[in-house]
This record gives sequence, C-alpha cells and structure tokens, in this order.
Amino acid sequence: MDRKLLGVIDATTYQKGLEDLIQHRSLAAVPFGGRYRLIDFVLSNMVNSGIKSVAIFPKNQYRSLMDHLGSGKDWDLNRKRDGLFFFPAPAEEKEITSFNHFAANKDYFDRSNQQYALISNCFTVCSMNFEPILDWHIKSGCDITEIRKDGRSLHMFLMKKSLLVELFETREQTGYTCMRDVVTDINSPYRQCHYEFKGYAVMIDSITTYFNESMKLLNPSIWKELFLKNQPVYTKVKDEPPTRYFTGATVKNSVIANGCLIEGTVENSIISRAVKIGKGTVIKNSIIMQKCQIGENCVLDSVVLDKDVKVNDGTMMYGTKDLPYVVRKGTVQGALMNS
Amino acid sequence: MAKKKCVAMLLAGGQGSRLHSLTSNLAKPAVPFGGKYRIIDFTLSNCTNSGIDTVGVLTQYQPLVLNSYIGIGSAWDLDRKNGGVTVLPPYSESKEMRWYTGTACAIYQNLNYLIQYDPEYVLILSGDHIYKMNYELMLDFHIARDADATISVIEVPWDEASRFGILNTDSDMKVVEFDEKPANPKNNLASMGIYIFKWSVLKGYLEKDAVLPESSHDFGKDILPTLLSDQKKLFAYPFSGYWKDVGTVRSLWEANMDLLDDKCGLDLFDYTWRIYSVNPNQPPQFISNDALVNDSLINEGCVIEGEIEKSVLFQGVKVEKGAYIKESVIMPDAVIGKNVFIEKAIVPSEMVIPDGTIIRALPDAEDDIVLVTEDMLQTL
Repeated sequence: MDRKLLGVIDATTYQKGLEDLIQHRSLAAVPFGGRYRLIDFVLSNMVNSGIKSVAIFPKNQYRSLMDHLGSGKDWDLNRKRDGLFFFPAPAEEKEITSFNHFAANKDYFDRSNQQYALISNCFTVCSMNFEPILDWHIKSGCDITEIRKDGRSLHMFLMKKSLLVELFETREQTGYTCMRDVVTDINSPYRQCHYEFKGYAVMIDSITTYFNESMKLLNPSIWKELFLKNQPVYTKVKDEPPTRYFTGATVKNSVIANGCLIEGTVENSIISRAVKIGKGTVIKNSIIMQKCQIGENCVLDSVVLDKDVKVNDGTMMYGTKDLPYVVRKGTVQGALMNS
Repeated sequence: MAKKKCVAMLLAGGQGSRLHSLTSNLAKPAVPFGGKYRIIDFTLSNCTNSGIDTVGVLTQYQPLVLNSYIGIGSAWDLDRKNGGVTVLPPYSESKEMRWYTGTACAIYQNLNYLIQYDPEYVLILSGDHIYKMNYELMLDFHIARDADATISVIEVPWDEASRFGILNTDSDMKVVEFDEKPANPKNNLASMGIYIFKWSVLKGYLEKDAVLPESSHDFGKDILPTLLSDQKKLFAYPFSGYWKDVGTVRSLWEANMDLLDDKCGLDLFDYTWRIYSVNPNQPPQFISNDALVNDSLINEGCVIEGEIEKSVLFQGVKVEKGAYIKESVIMPDAVIGKNVFIEKAIVPSEMVIPDGTIIRALPDAEDDIVLVTEDMLQTL
C-alpha cells in the first residue's frame, strides 16, 4: 500500500463569476466541451492515474452532481472494495469549511489504506497523470506538494494521508479552514514544494474563462492533448443516436456532440448533445448546452445557452467575446424579447 | 429462480456468409449498423422496451466479439439479479459434443435454461433484423386468442412474396397453411422469424422433434408445420413498420441509407423507443473549417476535414482534407486519406484508405455497392 493515492475532490466551491450557470447546479456539474461536466476531467485523471478510491465533498446544489455521478459506474468506480464516495455537507451548518467537512467524515480517511492523498478542486480542465507527480513528491521529501501552472496554484495538493488527517484534526488550534490556508500561511511548519505542470490546464472560475477556454477546444493541439486515446475523459453515458446533418446544413470549425439535428449553419461553436438547430438559423462563436431547441431563421453570436433553452423562430441574440450573452437553463427566448 | 411470464430466446449464431469479409471474424448480429449500433442492439433494445427482462442469447459462430459486446447486458439494462441476459453457447455433454444444427435444436439444447424460469410463454427472436417492435403487444394478441403459437408477419410487396416464407390465414388471422417461397403466392404475409409459444406446447414439440432423425430441427421447416398438422392453434400477428433483414452487402447498405430517409419509418431519435448500445465513450465530433457535411449521420469521435454527402459515419472515423464521401457507410475507426473519392461503398472497421484512392463500382460490376477489402487496397 506504499505509494497509493486517495482521491479527494473538494466540490464546495462557489464561483460568483459563474453565477448564471450555477444557480441550479454545483460548479462541478457545469457542462463543458459538448458532452462533459467540469468534474469529469479531474475524476477521469484520477482514474487514469490508478486511483481506486475517490471521495467527493459537495456543498451547494448537488442534485445535478449526484445525478451525473450515480454509482460511479461510468468511471469504473462502482467497486466492492474502494470506489466512489459521496459526502454531502452536514445540513445543520451553513458556512461549512472544507476541513470541517472532511473532519465530519473522518471515518473515510481512517478506513482507507492508501498512504497518500491528492486533494483537488472540481473545476480544472486538464489531462494530467498524477503518478509521476506522486513519484516527484516522494523523491522531493516535501510535506506538501502544490501543483501549479505557470506559477499559479491549480488548487491541487499531494501529501501523506496522515498529514491531511492531522491538518483537519487540528483545525481549531491552527485556524486553517482549507488547504489554501495551509499553503498561504508563511508561518506554516510544513515543508512545501511546487510542481509545475507543463501541459494545458485551466481553472474555470468566471464566465469569460468559461467562454474563452471552451473556444480553445477548437484548437486541434489543445483538443488532442485533452482527449488522448489512452487517457480518455469519462462521463455519464447517454444513449444518443449519432448526429443528423440535413441537406443544407453548413458546419464549420465546431465541436458537435451526439443526438443533434442540424438544419442550419454552425461556425466556431460548441454544440452539446440532443440540440435542434432549425433551417436558416446561423450560430456563431457560441456554446449551446444539451437539449436546447433553436427555431428557424435565428441568429446567435457569442451566446451561451444553458441546457433546455428554447429559442423561438426569428430570434436574434448577440454577445461579445468578452461578455457573452448568457441565457439561463430552461427559459424560452422569443423574437420580440431580444430584437 | 422466480417464475417469469415470458422469456426471450435470441438466435444469434448466424454466420451471415453473404456479408463476406464483414463477418469473417464476427457473427452477423455483431455487424456494425447505423453509425453507432450493432445489428443485435435493435432486438435487445426491443426486449427492454417491451418489458422483457430475461433473454437467452444463443451464440455459435465467431462468438468472441459478440460475447464481449453483450457482456452482462448493462448497456440494455439487462443486468438483472433475477433474469437479465445470459449468453448460451453450444456445450459438450457427457456423451458427445453437439453444435446447434438448427434453430429448434439450439432451443432444445437449452431447455434447462427455460425450465429454471418456468415461463408461461417463450418468445423466439433472431438477431439478424433491423426493426422496432413492441413484443408486449404481440404477447397480448397471443394471450387474447389463447394461441399455441403466434408468428409475427409483415406485408411484403406481392412481386417479392416468392422470396419469403408466406403464411396463408383465414379472416381471423388463424394460420391455415405455410407456403415456403411460393412460386405463385396466395398471400403477401411473410414470416418475420419471430414466434411466441406456450411454453408447455413448445417443450413437448421440441422433445418430440429432437429424436426424429429426418428432421432438420428448424422452427420454420419442422416445428411449426408439425403444430399445424396437429391442429394446434396458430395465429399470424400482423406487424406494420420498418423491418429489414440485413443479410447481404446491398441490404446492409440500403438499411443504412434508409436512416437518412425521414419517411422510412425507422426513427433513431424517438426517445420513447430508444435503441441502446455499448457507448464507445469518445469525445464529440470535430468538424473543421474545410469540411462540408450534408444529409448524413455522424457519430462521436469523428474528425471531419473532407466533404461528406448522404453517408453514415461510425465513431472515431477520420476524414482528411480533400476527401469526398458520397452515399457510403464508414465503419468505426476507419481513416480516409487525403483526396480520396468514395461512392456507394462500405468501408469496414479500422481500415485505412491511402491518400488519393478512388473507390466506386466498375461499370460492368454485378452490383454497384462496393464492400472495400484489404485485398482490394493491395492491388491498387
């Protein structure tokens, strides 16, 4: 059990900058890349790095996250031994901190026999293998390794599990509420190291990053790096048919998920599963989430449609690259409302 | 085992030799279809959608791909504690090793599977057809008439009736005569190879048939005609809708093209009757700036840089710049090189078509549908 990692995903974060997309869902469950949710990236990285036991600590609006993860089957984490564990926050506490949340579930840490722990956020998009980073951490002799990208913390930390337990057990004496408090404390007694990750990695913390990083998927080199054949990104499987392109459809430079019915024009966009795009409609530089229905002769430019949005015939909607027009889940957009 | 009302037995041992190289190392029911499915997905999804949760799948020819594809049946929600899917290969007994020599023989050898569920009815299916059918309605029909056996039939064009097993019926749909490939058909109701039997009747007749040395142990040729001559109650259940045997390269190609015809009656986008399959988990498809896609079905994991017209592309297909694909079926993970021209062809899984290749039927070819083979590419 020497060099085994326990996966801990801290899904308690609320990013104010993504308000429109996380009204009804946990940040971890924000759709990304046409068929994924943000948590799929970190969770798949863990599984692809040989991590067998993953604990998820959500706080707000976790219904959609639970629905997405289910038993963990799609990540091969529905196991008799180890597997996926889900620890919702204790209901009575309003402002629960990460360490309080971990401490309330100390049994999990005690029962698992992995010697090391990886604590990660739930909103970083990357394809990262943690095995060589653990080797690096062990060799370095550090107490805590923080994974960074371009010198900036990715909010991912490696340490001995016993140290993590010690950190949350002594939270009242030290005043630490989360890993961030520990690593930013200049008086911290622990030896810290920084591991610089060379590949593509980005934390989705505002609507601008969400929009711009989604658009980067249209860059073949980033696409190839994120979706390596031997390091697949797993997600909840939906039984959608292939996407149907009708006569007259024009699609350029776009990522399209399954189950779509496309009659119009799509350029530089990310289209999630089961989206309908009517005749004469033009969609440019936009992100359309699952099951949106866009009528005929609409124009959408620099728009983010959350899931289940219905856009009536003839509707025009424009945003800008810096400030995309975000439409909330399940709403109906009419021609008169935005023209 | 808890008693089951109806257990399905799915005959999936077919070799499909008229599909040539497509079935050289897999059974016909495992042949890819419709951009993401395998042929057997339709029958297995019909079972789940019809509320039948116990399915025995009888395999024989090249079972590796099929067996690993079916797995424990979770893709079709058939991984059940009681029932679910069970793969039933031929097996060896203390005295002899026996292959399945006919459709009835295959079921006879697995009587013990049926006995453990002690069903009231047994549904016999074949894994070779593309169709959506609610077997529950057929079972209701069977029960309402207190039939001993019910055979599902479909109206075929009169001029094609002589290619099918035709059932002649009275006005109540009671079967009065079987007419195998009649030269002068009296009716145009063709058997779809889908039968429901009363379990007690089926068991008795299978046991009797098994010891007849001259029998070919086939439902259509032996069991059903015997039931009829014994004055058992046989009914024809009329099915209407899309139904196609994809036994030849041409019919497989046609059935794929039918998916691009909105009037064909086979709707993959009908969420009330979903067709389930083992999902390949690939990223969404990427359509590049150079691509042009019209009137086509494209699955996840494809990277399209060429021009696609009226075609069906399975998962993981790569189409490079300048390539033009028309009225074709491209199976999983095939790579279509630069400036390739393909018309009316089936490209098998994982095949790599070198840059600049032109694929279409020769003017004097017997059939204008081309099944691309490795040999063909080597002689270019």
